[in-house]
Amino acid sequence: MTEAQRHSPMLEARDITLKFGGVTALANVSIDIGHQELVALIGPNGAGKSSLLNVLSGFYRSSEGDVRFEGQDIGRWPVHRVAQAGLARTFQGTHLLPHMSVLDNILVGRYMHMKSSLTTAFFYYPFAHREELAHRAVAEEILGFLELEHLRHHPVGTLGYGMRKRVDLGRALAMEPRMLLLDEPMAGMNVEEKEDLARFILDIRESRQIPVVLVEHDMGVVMDIADRVIVLNFGRKIADASPADVQQDEQVIAAYLGVHA
Amino acid sequence: MSADPLPPQTLPQWLVHNAAVRPDEVAQRHKRDGIWQEFSWADVRDEVRELALGLRARGVQRGQTVVLMSENRPELYWAEWAAQAIGAKVVALYPDATETEVDYVVQDAQAVCVFAEDQEQVDKVLPLMSRHTGLHTVVWWESGGLWTYRQEGLLGWDAFKAPARPVDAEAAAWFEQVIAEGQSQDIALLLYTSGTTGAPKGVITTHASLLHNADLIAQSVQLPQGCEYLSYIPLSWATEQWVGVTLGLIRPMKVSFAERPDQIQEAIRELACEMVFFGPRQWESLAARVHTRMLDASPWRQRVVDWGLRIGRLARAEQMDTTQRPWWVRVLLPLADALVLRPLRDQLGLQRAKIAFTGGAAVAPDIFRLFAAMGVMLRNVYGCSEFGLVTVHQGKQANPETIGQLVLLASAWGEPMQWRLAPAGGLELRGGAGFAGYWGKPEKSAEKMNGEWFQTGDAVGQGPTETELIYFDRVEHMSSLQGGHTFSKQFIEVRLRFSPYIREVLVVGNPSRERVTALVNIDGDVFGRWAERKGVSFTTFTDLSQRPEVLAQVASEIAQVNRTLPEAAHITHFVNLPKELDADEGELTRTRKLKRDFIEQRYGGLIEAMYADQTQTAIEIPIRYQDGRSGVLRADVTVGRISAQRISEN
Repeated sequence: MTEAQRHSPMLEARDITLKFGGVTALANVSIDIGHQELVALIGPNGAGKSSLLNVLSGFYRSSEGDVRFEGQDIGRWPVHRVAQAGLARTFQGTHLLPHMSVLDNILVGRYMHMKSSLTTAFFYYPFAHREELAHRAVAEEILGFLELEHLRHHPVGTLGYGMRKRVDLGRALAMEPRMLLLDEPMAGMNVEEKEDLARFILDIRESRQIPVVLVEHDMGVVMDIADRVIVLNFGRKIADASPADVQQDEQVIAAYLGVHA
Repeated sequence: MSADPLPPQTLPQWLVHNAAVRPDEVAQRHKRDGIWQEFSWADVRDEVRELALGLRARGVQRGQTVVLMSENRPELYWAEWAAQAIGAKVVALYPDATETEVDYVVQDAQAVCVFAEDQEQVDKVLPLMSRHTGLHTVVWWESGGLWTYRQEGLLGWDAFKAPARPVDAEAAAWFEQVIAEGQSQDIALLLYTSGTTGAPKGVITTHASLLHNADLIAQSVQLPQGCEYLSYIPLSWATEQWVGVTLGLIRPMKVSFAERPDQIQEAIRELACEMVFFGPRQWESLAARVHTRMLDASPWRQRVVDWGLRIGRLARAEQMDTTQRPWWVRVLLPLADALVLRPLRDQLGLQRAKIAFTGGAAVAPDIFRLFAAMGVMLRNVYGCSEFGLVTVHQGKQANPETIGQLVLLASAWGEPMQWRLAPAGGLELRGGAGFAGYWGKPEKSAEKMNGEWFQTGDAVGQGPTETELIYFDRVEHMSSLQGGHTFSKQFIEVRLRFSPYIREVLVVGNPSRERVTALVNIDGDVFGRWAERKGVSFTTFTDLSQRPEVLAQVASEIAQVNRTLPEAAHITHFVNLPKELDADEGELTRTRKLKRDFIEQRYGGLIEAMYADQTQTAIEIPIRYQDGRSGVLRADVTVGRISAQRISEN
C-alpha cells in the first residue's frame, strides 16, 4: 500500500498489552491497518495472533494500550458496538448454526441492520415485509458472490468443512463490514478449497474496497496474496514488512526455526 | 395457420408477433436469487429492442457477425434475437471454447461484437481485440471479477443499453422497421461444426431453415402449445437453435433457464418439464440413479419397486413392439403407477414429460425399456446441422433399434425432404430447407454435394418399415466384405455390448472374407450367477466360457442383434474367448478400447477356425500372471454357429 495511506490508517492499535494472570499474551504490540490493505498476521503457535484479533474486535479487553478505528477509541466498547462500527470477523473453526440453512445463517449476519421489532415482524407490517425482501436480496448477492446458490436451503451441518468456512465468511460479509478480520480462514482446507478462498478474499477487497486482516498458517497463501505481513512471536511484534522482506528477516527465520538469533 | 396471410418470416418477426398477440403470457423464466423470475413476451421484446438499439449505437450493421459466449440464460437468447433483428448473423460458441477456438471463429466469421457472459469469457476475448481490428465491442453481463477492467470497447450490460434509454418513438419505429425488412432467406446463424476433420466450418443457417426444422419437430411429435421446456443444450448446437430458440418462438413454449449449469436436474424437477432432451449418457445416469437409490432401500421396498416396474414393462411393452398386453396387467397398472411408477417419475422430474428426446448416439434398449416402464417413451432424433432434421420417432411407438421415421413433411418455409440410399449405404437428401453451404468455403460445400443431392456421410439401413432408419456409422468407418457388402463393426459391437452377458466383443470381417464373425469376451460375473441359478456347474472362466449352455445363450444374444442387420452383415460364427481381454496384456487400451490388430493377430487361430467352419479348435496363448510369472493357457475352444433358422425363429 502507498505511504499516504499508511499515514492515515483506518485502524490503529497502540502498545497493546494483554495479560491473563501471570501470562503475558501480548506485549506492547502496535499495528496500523491502512485503507484497502490486505494484511497477514503470522507467527508460531501461541504467538498471540488470535489474541490480537480478539482485542481488535472487542472480544478481549487489553490490559494496556488503545485501539482506534477511524479515529474513534473502540478499545473499551462492547462487542456489538464494535461490530456496528463496521468491524466484522470470522472465527477459528466455525461458529455457525448447524441446523439452520445456509441462507438463514447468512441472514443472521444482517441482524444488526434489521429494524423491525418482534411485533412488527410477527404481524408482517408492510415495512417489515419490504425490509425482509431487502435483506434477502443482500443475502442472495452474497450467495452468488461466494458461489453458494445451489446450497441455499441446505442445513449448514450437512456441509463439508470447506463449505462451512465459506458460509462463515458469507455471514461476516452480510454485516457489510468496513473492515474484515479473518481468523485462520483456511485451516483444515485442501489445496483446491484454499485456492478458491484466496480468490474470494482478493475479490472481496477488489469489489468492496475494504481492508482485510488475515491470520494464517499457510505461508504459500500468505506470501501470494498479502500486501504486508506482520509477524508475532511470544506476544511481541518482530517484523512488519512486505512478504519478500519478511522472508529474508533473520528474526522471523529464527522464530520459525527455533534458532537463537 | 391457413387463416393468416403470411406467417412471420424471421425469428425477430415472430418475437414481435408474439409480443403483439400475447404480450402478457410468460415467455421465459430464469431462476435468480432462488426464485423463478418471469419474463412476458412484451418484456422480452423490450429487452431485445434495447439491445438492438445498443448494437445500432455501436455501429453494428446488417450482414455483420455477432458472437455469443455464455451458458444458457435469457440474456443469451435476447442477444441473439437483437443481433438478428438488425439483420446481423450470430455465432454461438460453447462456453468452454478455448482461446484458440474463439480466435479462429472471430477471424473466420469476421466478428465485430462479442457478448461474453463473465470474466472467464471476457478474458478469452480481450486479447483478440488488438489482433482483429474489426472486433470493436465486447459486452458482459456478470460483473464478478471485472471491477477493475478498463478497456476501450469493453462494456457492461447496462452501459451497453444506456444509449437506448428511454426508448422514444423514433427508436421504436426504427426497431419495427428494421425487423420488417428481414427476409426468410437472411442468414440467421453460422453453426460451426466440431472440426474433428480439419478446421471447423460455419454452416450457413437461414431463418427459413430454422423455422422449417422447428416446425417439423412440432408437427412430428404434436407438441402442445405453452409447453414447459428447460434450455440447457448449448446454443452452438443446431438442436437448441431449433428447439429452444425457434420452437420456443413459433409454438410458443415457456422456456426456462436454471440458476447454474449444475442445477439442471433440480430445475427439471421443479418445473416438471413437458419436453426433455437428454443425450444417451444423461439418460443412463438417470437410470443409474434409480438403481443406486434402490440399493440403499429396504428389501421390501426394493421388491415393491421391482414389481411395479415389471407391471410397467409388461403394460408398456407395446410401445417397443407390437406385443399385446395381458388383461391382468391392465388391472394392476393403476396400482403400480400409484405405488411405484408415479413417484419414480416425480423423483426424476419426468412427471409431466410428454415428449422425451435422445440423440447423438445409441441408447441401450434396457434404458429405453426402463423409462418406457415408467411411462416415459424415449424418442430418437437424428439430423445434421447442414441439412436439418432427418428422422425422429413419431407416433405412439419407438423402436430402440432405429433412429425413427424419416420426417417427410412440408412447412410454410420448406417443401418435403426427399431421400435415397447411395450404393455404399450413405444417406443422401434433397428438398427440405436445403443446405446453404459453409461460410466462406465454397469448395468444401461443393464436396458435400452429389449433383443436387446432399451427402450426409452417414451410413444407414432400413428398419422394420421402409422409412424407419437404422444408423450404422460414418460412411468412411464402414468395413466391407469380399462380396462388396458393407457393414459397421462399431455398430454391431455397441449393440452386442448392450447385452449384460457380453463384456467385450470384437467383430471380424474384411474384403478378403465373405462373412462376419465375432470374438466374444463373456461377462464372467453375470454368467457365473446365471450358471448358479440354472444349476450349470463350472470351474474356471475358461471352462464356463465353453459350456454349451453359455454358448447357446451367447448365440441367442447375437441372433437378436442379427435381426437388426442386413442379411450380408449377419454374424455367422463366434467363439467365446477362453480368457478375459486384459489391458495388462496389451489387448485393450487403458480406457478399455479394443486393440483390434493385436487381438486379431493373437487369436488368429480362432479366427481361421471360424472361417474354415470347424466345430472345435485348440489354442495356446502366452499369458502373464499378476505376480509377473508367465505361462501358457491351453484350451479347447468351441466354434459357435448362428443358424439362419434361429434368426427366423426369433
